[in-house]
Amino acid sequence: MNSLIALENVSKLYRRGSEEVHALDGVTLDIAEGDLIAICGPSGSGKTTLLNIAGCMDHASKGLVRIRGEEVERGGERRLAEIRQSLIGFVFQQFFLIPTLTVEENVELPLLFSHRKAERARTAELLESVGLGHRRRHRPGQLSGGEMQRVAVARSLINEPKVILADEPTGNLDSRNSKAVVELFEALNSKGIAIVLVTHNADLAARCRKVVHLEDGKVVG
Amino acid sequence: MKLAKLAFNNIRRTPMRAGLTAASVLIAAATLSVVLALDRGYARAVKSELVDKTGVHLYITKENCPIEAASVVAQGGLSPLYVEESLVAVAQSTEGIAAALPFQLFAETTSDGTRTDILMGVTEAIREVRPDWVIEKGGWFEDGDSVILGAQIAQIELAKVGDKLYSEKLDKEFKVAGILRKNYSQDDGMIFLPLDTAQRLVKREGRLSAIAIKLADVGAMQEVTTRLRGSIAQDYSVIGAKELSEGILGFFAATRMIMFVMVGVAFGVSIFGIVNTMLMVVMERRREIAYLKCVGARREDVLRLITLETLIICLAGGVGGILAGAAVTPAAGSLLRGTLVGYVPAGSIAAPSAGIALLSLSVAVAAGVLCALYPAWKAASIVPMEVLRNE
Repeated sequence: MNSLIALENVSKLYRRGSEEVHALDGVTLDIAEGDLIAICGPSGSGKTTLLNIAGCMDHASKGLVRIRGEEVERGGERRLAEIRQSLIGFVFQQFFLIPTLTVEENVELPLLFSHRKAERARTAELLESVGLGHRRRHRPGQLSGGEMQRVAVARSLINEPKVILADEPTGNLDSRNSKAVVELFEALNSKGIAIVLVTHNADLAARCRKVVHLEDGKVVG
Repeated sequence: MKLAKLAFNNIRRTPMRAGLTAASVLIAAATLSVVLALDRGYARAVKSELVDKTGVHLYITKENCPIEAASVVAQGGLSPLYVEESLVAVAQSTEGIAAALPFQLFAETTSDGTRTDILMGVTEAIREVRPDWVIEKGGWFEDGDSVILGAQIAQIELAKVGDKLYSEKLDKEFKVAGILRKNYSQDDGMIFLPLDTAQRLVKREGRLSAIAIKLADVGAMQEVTTRLRGSIAQDYSVIGAKELSEGILGFFAATRMIMFVMVGVAFGVSIFGIVNTMLMVVMERRREIAYLKCVGARREDVLRLITLETLIICLAGGVGGILAGAAVTPAAGSLLRGTLVGYVPAGSIAAPSAGIALLSLSVAVAAGVLCALYPAWKAASIVPMEVLRNE
């Protein structure tokens, strides 16, 4: 399968006052089309940092990040924004929905920045696919946590990404809603979209085809 | 969805805060539009009454300073400066002068201090010099004890032709010989009396406040002025009505400056308010802005969003401000009229205009752009992962 995102010997160093923190230490990871990967590990092991570097939202201190073979460090912020718009969808533990916008407006929000015209039929289709077609005119405040996360998933799909990076997507959800979101990810993966999940949830990790264990910034399994 | 809609929706999230910020812009824009309208109105009224309406082209005064000369004409008080009456003959014999009006101005305040009347001693030359000075009822002075009343003062005194008016201060009774047609100038509030009576009352026989001159040809003003200056002593001054009006506007400069300082303070407070509000907005929405960047918002998108939010608030405040300004300008004009020192035009001193409204709105919008710069830059500088990691 074609490589979408390749991390080669990536390290990330943070400075916290005079102290240096190695959030990632020589991590190599390849995310290919159709992958379903779980990134697991204890708190502070570097899971989110890894996801952020893979998602072009953070820079590696050392090592290379290639997006479809292109070295991202060579591109400026504009290029990184373009990559995020065209290739990557993000889902976070907090849903980051805009409370004054309707569900369908929230889903269409990324189009505002990719300068693509919103097509209501496509939005409706996405909301149907996450089981929220009937909720499109509602505001986020009228939805449950699970529904809000499904809106966030629909929003991550609006730019037709090749990969979805999800940071603790079920962290704020009860078991029933978690199950619904996981099934949604599996359905998307079956359509060829690569899914990378950061999770503490062993059941969720077990449903992924590949599991990456991190400890102290290193891949341990 | 458009960026404007997103910005508008964001503002709606904190309606009270946005409303109060817009209110501060409203106050600043209203203050500006009122001050500009009064500034324009006063200048226009002075010019209209002293230059356009009077028909007077030149004045001969004692002092070689138009502002001092203006005080003679405008304040109505008995100035220590005076012009010898013999100059009237010099003026009348000067080529190019159609008519010369000698006059003596003085003011009398009622014993209870509630009203000051301006009295003007004139000759029949006033009819030639001042075409808008028309006796509507009655006629010219019958004797030295008769007066002609301006339309407004006649109305206040409920005076008719033939009535007697007693001046407590002067201890003198006057008979109303005539009442002027309203001409919306200072004449409406003045009392006219024969020149020699006025001179006697202020103990200045043979002396005048000034001489008003009407030219045969306005185009020859420069030549006539030069000619006149050559015929009179050096310590007299020949000034144009336009210069006189400018001199009067000079008295207004201090009031004007205070008004514009008020505008500056209002805008200063407003600017701090807007910057503070928008910084709070940015601080509160750091995670959301970080997320927008995650989904592809570029630095300039965030800059535009925050600037647009600021502009919407300022535009709303600015539009409200010009409407409020237009509504309160007449009342502000009346208020200013009561506090004016010096020449108080009879006509309205409030002159709002579309240009002033547009200028006030533009200043409010420009202030908005200025205020948006720092908060927008702060928002655009958000590094998504730092925010999402730390918060």
